[in-house]
Amino acid sequence: MKKLKIDTWFFIILITLLCLVNIFNANKPTVSNLENRALKTMPQISLSNLVKGSYQRDFEEYYSDTFIFRDNLVKLSRDVNKLMSFLGPDISIVTAVEDVQLPPNIQDEEKEAVIPAPTGSEISNTPENSSPSAENVETQAPAQEPEPEKDFGDGPNVGYWMVVDGKAVQLFKFNKESFEYYAQVLNKYSEKLGDGVKIYSMIPPTNGEFMQLKKYKGITDSQNDALDYLKSKLNDNILSVDVFDALNKHKDEYIYFRTDHHWTALGAYYGYSEFMKSKGDTPLSLDQFEKMDLGDFLGSSYTKTLDKSLEKNPDNIVAYKPLNNHEFTVYKGNEGTKADIIDLKYTDDISKKYLVFISSGGATWSKVKTDINNGKKILVVKDSFGNMLVPFLVPHYEEIYVVDSRFYNINLTGKNIVEFVKDNGINEVVFCIYMEDVNWHKFMSGVENMLGNEM
Amino acid sequence: MVFSSLFFLCNFLPVCLGLYYISKNRTYRNWLLIIVSLLFYAWGEPVWISILLLSTGFSYLSALVAEKHKGSIKGKVALIASITGNLLILGFFKYSGFLINNINGLLGTSINIPEVGLPIGISFYTFKIISYIVDVYKGEAEAQKSPFKLLLYVSVFHQLMAGPITRYKDISEAIDNRVETFKDFNHGVSRFIIGLGKKVILAGTAGKMTDTFMGTDYTRLPLLGAWFGILMFALQLYFDFSGYSDMAIGLGSIFGFKYKENFDYPYISRSASEFWRRWHISLGSFFKDYVYIPLGGNRKYRIRNLFIVWTLTGLWHGADWNFVIWGLYYFVLLVIEKAFLLKFFEKLPAIISRLYLWIATLVGWVFFYHNDIGQAFRFLGIMFGPGAKEISGPELNIHFWNNAVFLVIALIGCTPVISGLFKKLAQEKPEGKFTRFIEVFGKPVFNIVILVLSVIFLVGQSYSPFMYFKF
Repeated sequence: MKKLKIDTWFFIILITLLCLVNIFNANKPTVSNLENRALKTMPQISLSNLVKGSYQRDFEEYYSDTFIFRDNLVKLSRDVNKLMSFLGPDISIVTAVEDVQLPPNIQDEEKEAVIPAPTGSEISNTPENSSPSAENVETQAPAQEPEPEKDFGDGPNVGYWMVVDGKAVQLFKFNKESFEYYAQVLNKYSEKLGDGVKIYSMIPPTNGEFMQLKKYKGITDSQNDALDYLKSKLNDNILSVDVFDALNKHKDEYIYFRTDHHWTALGAYYGYSEFMKSKGDTPLSLDQFEKMDLGDFLGSSYTKTLDKSLEKNPDNIVAYKPLNNHEFTVYKGNEGTKADIIDLKYTDDISKKYLVFISSGGATWSKVKTDINNGKKILVVKDSFGNMLVPFLVPHYEEIYVVDSRFYNINLTGKNIVEFVKDNGINEVVFCIYMEDVNWHKFMSGVENMLGNEM
Repeated sequence: MVFSSLFFLCNFLPVCLGLYYISKNRTYRNWLLIIVSLLFYAWGEPVWISILLLSTGFSYLSALVAEKHKGSIKGKVALIASITGNLLILGFFKYSGFLINNINGLLGTSINIPEVGLPIGISFYTFKIISYIVDVYKGEAEAQKSPFKLLLYVSVFHQLMAGPITRYKDISEAIDNRVETFKDFNHGVSRFIIGLGKKVILAGTAGKMTDTFMGTDYTRLPLLGAWFGILMFALQLYFDFSGYSDMAIGLGSIFGFKYKENFDYPYISRSASEFWRRWHISLGSFFKDYVYIPLGGNRKYRIRNLFIVWTLTGLWHGADWNFVIWGLYYFVLLVIEKAFLLKFFEKLPAIISRLYLWIATLVGWVFFYHNDIGQAFRFLGIMFGPGAKEISGPELNIHFWNNAVFLVIALIGCTPVISGLFKKLAQEKPEGKFTRFIEVFGKPVFNIVILVLSVIFLVGQSYSPFMYFKF
């Protein structure tokens, strides 16, 4: 064999070409719409960064983040992976690790208010990066590695996403200790808030509960059983809203998204109806709200799995806007800005449309003031599922306060949640947190933290 | 910087190759190699490159003294000083935490652990340096007069991160007299690509399954799921490590060096003894030549010598008790095998001994994986019955069938079946049309496909979605 072979030529040309193209590519992207995050920017050179090694690490991350054709190559890699699984049942299960950064629970008057870093950070499971090699200790630090699930302690949450028949379904793994902790936390709220405040627990299940795959029985734990168990642990004066039955009756309707882990507005409507009925109130009918069609939507499960069958079958997102007069204000710390309860500024990007509900739900706290003078004031303690619930409550209350335990910061508002409730004259509290977050100790510890120092 | 990164592949390597082949001058090429290797190392270890340089410098001097005063006390002192110095450095960076934790545990003290990270490659280059000084002392190699050429041996970036642990005498000729040929260049690229594919595609895919089955709570792990998980781990380890060695050997070839093989299809072994002649060969032979034989080998105190070697082998892999247990596990197996097991297996069909080896290796990897020994036993409990709540499960079913094709490819990749077929073909019909087709077209196209797939996978690995709140 004389001279260089074609694979050697290809190798040399490829790496040289990629080298040059990446150097001369002036328009490096700064945002990845696919991944829903800001891409790494060119790090600053400084002696200390070089010595620490952070410049080098950041540069490599920047290099791969802004690599030419990155989005296309990422999708291609997912397709290749799917190809290899052709003997499988055309179902894939993707594991994704999710973590959250909780705001402080200590009221610190001396500390200057520091806006907490945006939460909801999710680390996709990319164990390709973990390389044990020969020496466990000496390997290149893997970028991300899912930690073993812990019962206690604040570890991240491992989520299991099953993609089947063009829809993504979240599998549930019941964690008894976490459910007991949820009951503990709500019981604590009940004790601290006293008899004057009525407490409701409304836990939307994941769509895994209504999946009709008999072949894979047992792949997801019964959330209905988990809810029954929970009921036995809650104090008698806390009312459990039976969301499961309400949704089960309508399980053939479009109550969950296919490409996102949330319930649709229709699903939330059934939840809201059940909530009203359990209080002895009458829910409005759906046509008493303004229906808004917001078009195609590719949500969280698509972003996690990049599954082609989800991409080809996007969701359609519909919102129901309350018709009575109301004013929605979002607060950063104690600084309020008016916003729309169905905020259309989030409709530009097909993957962000869920954020239209209560304008993303990411404020420190928010408030709806309505034209209804019935003296009823409710606090919704929520995670992102609760975003869907709030618009439906607007025709029933004088004031609605909304708080997300991931964003409520005692240092910024100056009060813990008990004080918040008392100061605003709130007489009802509904916890609208979905199954997976109830099942995750760390998430619920954020809810407990809002009670502040008097733990 | 690792070989399997976009930065290395598309930035460092093309620049390096370009600069290397600009001039044919040997001195220029050697200096270039030293500089890029040091830059490569400093990129990942900007501070502790100082240790690499110090160790090399100290050993350079000791070797000169050892050679000049061979046989006398001075020579011996130089030898001992250099070995001790290197081991102390390795011990400090790698084992001080482990040591102090144990002392604290035993004596109830609370000594603080110095917060030093482990410098990259220190376990590899320390052993290289020790092999150099011992070989010089014994007269098996001539002391290198140029400190820079010694530095080239110690720091050449091909082997710096993860071996193989090359002996000085194996490349001392090559430092001065290597000839870079087209043939070697081609072989090198081919080897590099195979290694890259093994690491990125095979180890990467296996790794995903390892994490899925072994990275979570074991309360729901079915029995077959445990086996599936540890099998994936075994594949991940093999393709990761042997892939990296392939890349090192390939790079060496590209630059005119011939490094010895580090892996020889270990999973086709019929005994643990054979396994360790095929797995991480450069480490096994280091311990054999520099610890086992000096201690007496098979001739004097064989069992004691084996015990020491296997404790050290385990410890080398990690500063934790589970690694020591893993090493001693093999010690026990090797002793039993030599005593009677090997003779027993000789009478039986090969498949029995292969099955034995597979099960033994998988059990060994359980200890290798779990730092927590309790967890290791828990996992074993699931594998062998008592701890498992069920034999199989719907998730395992889905994952298994989704990865069935991968599993077949990976298992074939563990055997020399494919390369064996090609070798046979080349031997029997060296000028045949099909042989030529494979050589000129088949293999190269295969390599091109692997290279392209590897790049795609590398980009895919950087994917890390962020939910709902960004900026």
